[in-house]
Amino acid sequence: MIRDEDIIVVDTPVLNAAERLYIPQIVAGMQVTLRHMFKKSITVQYPEQKRTLRLENYRGVHRLNRDEEGRVACVACFMCETACPAHCIHIVAEESPWDDREKYPLQFDIDELRCIYCGMCEEACPVDAIELTPEYNLVGRSRQEMVFDKEKLLKVYDQTKTEKPRKNPRITGYAGTGNRTEGQPTGDSH
Amino acid sequence: MLDILKDQFWFSAILTVVLIGAIMGVVAYCIYFERKISAWIQDRVGPNRVGPFGLFQPLADGAKFLFKEDIIPANVDKPLFLIAPVIAFGLAMIGFAVLPWGGNVDLDADGIIDVTAQVADPGIGLLYLLGVGSLGIYGVVLGGWANNNKYAFFSAMRSTAQMLSYEIPMGIAIFVVVITVGTLRLEDIVLSQIGEGNVWNIVLHPFAFIILLITIFAETNRTPFDLAEAEQELVGGYHTEYSALKFGMFFLGEYAHMITGSGFITILFLGGWHLPGVPGLQPGDVSIWAMLFKMTVMGAKIVGFLFLFMWVRWTIPRFRFDQLMRLSWKGLLPISMILAGYATTLVYLGKATNIPWALGGNVALLVIVLIYNGLRSGEITGRQANLPAIARPVEAHS
Amino acid sequence: MNTHWSSLVYTTFVMGALAVYLLMPRAGRSTNIAGTLIGMVALALAMFLCADMFVGTSSGNALFYASAVIALASAVKVITDEKPVYSALYFVLTVLAITPLLILQHAEFLAIALVIIYAGAILVTYVFVIMLAQQGGRPACDHRARQPLLAVVGGFLTMAVIAGQMATLPDEQAVIVAAAPAPTSDAPLAEPDNTMQVGSVMLTQYVVAFELAGVLLLVAMIGAIAMSQKRIPSEKLVEPTKPPGQIGREVGPY
Repeated sequence: MIRDEDIIVVDTPVLNAAERLYIPQIVAGMQVTLRHMFKKSITVQYPEQKRTLRLENYRGVHRLNRDEEGRVACVACFMCETACPAHCIHIVAEESPWDDREKYPLQFDIDELRCIYCGMCEEACPVDAIELTPEYNLVGRSRQEMVFDKEKLLKVYDQTKTEKPRKNPRITGYAGTGNRTEGQPTGDSH
Repeated sequence: MLDILKDQFWFSAILTVVLIGAIMGVVAYCIYFERKISAWIQDRVGPNRVGPFGLFQPLADGAKFLFKEDIIPANVDKPLFLIAPVIAFGLAMIGFAVLPWGGNVDLDADGIIDVTAQVADPGIGLLYLLGVGSLGIYGVVLGGWANNNKYAFFSAMRSTAQMLSYEIPMGIAIFVVVITVGTLRLEDIVLSQIGEGNVWNIVLHPFAFIILLITIFAETNRTPFDLAEAEQELVGGYHTEYSALKFGMFFLGEYAHMITGSGFITILFLGGWHLPGVPGLQPGDVSIWAMLFKMTVMGAKIVGFLFLFMWVRWTIPRFRFDQLMRLSWKGLLPISMILAGYATTLVYLGKATNIPWALGGNVALLVIVLIYNGLRSGEITGRQANLPAIARPVEAHS
Repeated sequence: MNTHWSSLVYTTFVMGALAVYLLMPRAGRSTNIAGTLIGMVALALAMFLCADMFVGTSSGNALFYASAVIALASAVKVITDEKPVYSALYFVLTVLAITPLLILQHAEFLAIALVIIYAGAILVTYVFVIMLAQQGGRPACDHRARQPLLAVVGGFLTMAVIAGQMATLPDEQAVIVAAAPAPTSDAPLAEPDNTMQVGSVMLTQYVVAFELAGVLLLVAMIGAIAMSQKRIPSEKLVEPTKPPGQIGREVGPY
């Protein structure tokens, strides 16, 4: 049962004699639509034209950044996998072959069909290794194809790095888990 | 070839085939232009991918209708479910049979009128159109019920109440014309608007024209009277459960109905195939080229009305059901009855085609309506609190 | 009029009655082949009798037989179909099938008025009421006819008496074809004078009856409006605590 005080009554305007015929209003409305008929359309013809996106915060396909030496920047800390609300990130960590960090991702899969493009992984990443790109044109022929593995994500980085460079390229690695190398800015310095 | 054409039966048969083809084409392109016009009004582009300017879009749509899966839901009433689209489409198509497209024709120029450019010329053509229009409800009712879907049934219920309500002012507005011209044959109605001292009926009875226009909007279920297809409330309306070609038939039927309605109002009020003062469009021009010219003019007028239908559809929002009923019973019906009384009086006084008399009555009616409106200052709402106490249910405020 | 012809008439009626009786819905049985067959024979006999009486053009004859058969068959279905909605729709079909018969009698105005008023308005509401009433499945009373024997005997006896009386009239052909002298050619039925004649007769000869019918309809309409008013005892009426427009004003947004 709806209570009286929950009802919000909107006052209708009191119409004058001519307006009660409806005709003047209808004519006025039709004038408006007629004017619009001759206006230039604002449609973006998508495959031929593309909108310019705000690169810094558009949330499209993920990429895995490379550091200056071309290695994968990820340190397999599982922060993104933990933060992900859609559980679409799967990481298999392995001991790092390089000495500036302990671990690196042997396998890094993102199910782009499960992903909700919320950007939490990007927020969570302590080394700014995972980022969302402005690339929204994402299609595939199978579900399997839409699960992006490490190579594919790195390839996305190669394709988009000129358009949107990595946020903090100086963050490269850890000397050990939890120990940031000296002189490096914190992850949220941007 | 020409000898066969000189027989009215064969001429009608050929005209039927041509008309069905032409109307199907026009209906298909109506759907295209409906989308184009909606796009233009909303500052968009509209269909532009299939062919140049999207002109082949109707073909693509038709192919889609043909090849989509034709679903018959489990608990429908099968015979009625199957026959409802046929009724809706068929009744919309047979209305064209009596529209006069081009007057009398003398095919071999020997001074003898051979045929009439019209499929059939019954003396009661106007009543025939009305009858076909009133039967058009059955497609909606049967479709809505056979669906076994409550929303579809609601839609059918709305549609029925709406059509029954709007048929009355429609009939009376037509009566105004009939009593003025004194005939029910459509060709004669056209001819009565032509010639020395005769004008189009819209000049004599603009009010009746507006009423007929409004009721035709209602009869064809077009916005602002498309309550039967109110997607926000009723899913899809009476054709909710229909798919593929059966849905397409409902769709085509709606547009065919629009064309019939446009032709109807053109004949009654806008002189049919006639334009005053244009050579080739007078009753005396009976050559085959004059016939084609007349058909073109008639078609152009119909296309103009179709544009108006679409223009209004993308401009005016839908009525609420009580507003719809109020408009018909409290607005159009009294006005049309006054008009009918006035037209009868004019005929009695012998001034039926006298422009100052006829127009004067319309102006006087407008003034009366304005004064009446001005005296009633209350809000126009359907709200419970504004109803008289006797009609207000107690539960509303307990 | 000869006895041979008259016995044929009565045979037709007896067979028709038998067929309708057999076709009446009964519990536990849906179709009756014997009834259908007898009905078809009776229909054919009736058409044969019509052929004896009706003289018209060939196309007119074809139209007559087609619509007469449809009208009779759907009229039988109106009372024998188990689904009320179908009964009502067969009623519509009967009305539509009678229209060509009226047009053949040069009563175009009557025909179209029948379509507009009966099929287009009244029967739509019938169909609708039945559709609305049948939301929860069909009740038992739809499955069997009530007093089928008495109804059939009564109905067909009346029809037989009327038909027999018509047959004993001096010139039966004249009676049946009286309304329309048989058209001499296949000329289109485009005489508008029928409508005019109906109009003038209504407003001269039968003006009193016409106006009385109008008054009756007006009274019925007023009665319907009066009955549909919801009468609420005035002490039960609760006025809203606040005028509209004020209600809910002080409630903050959620």
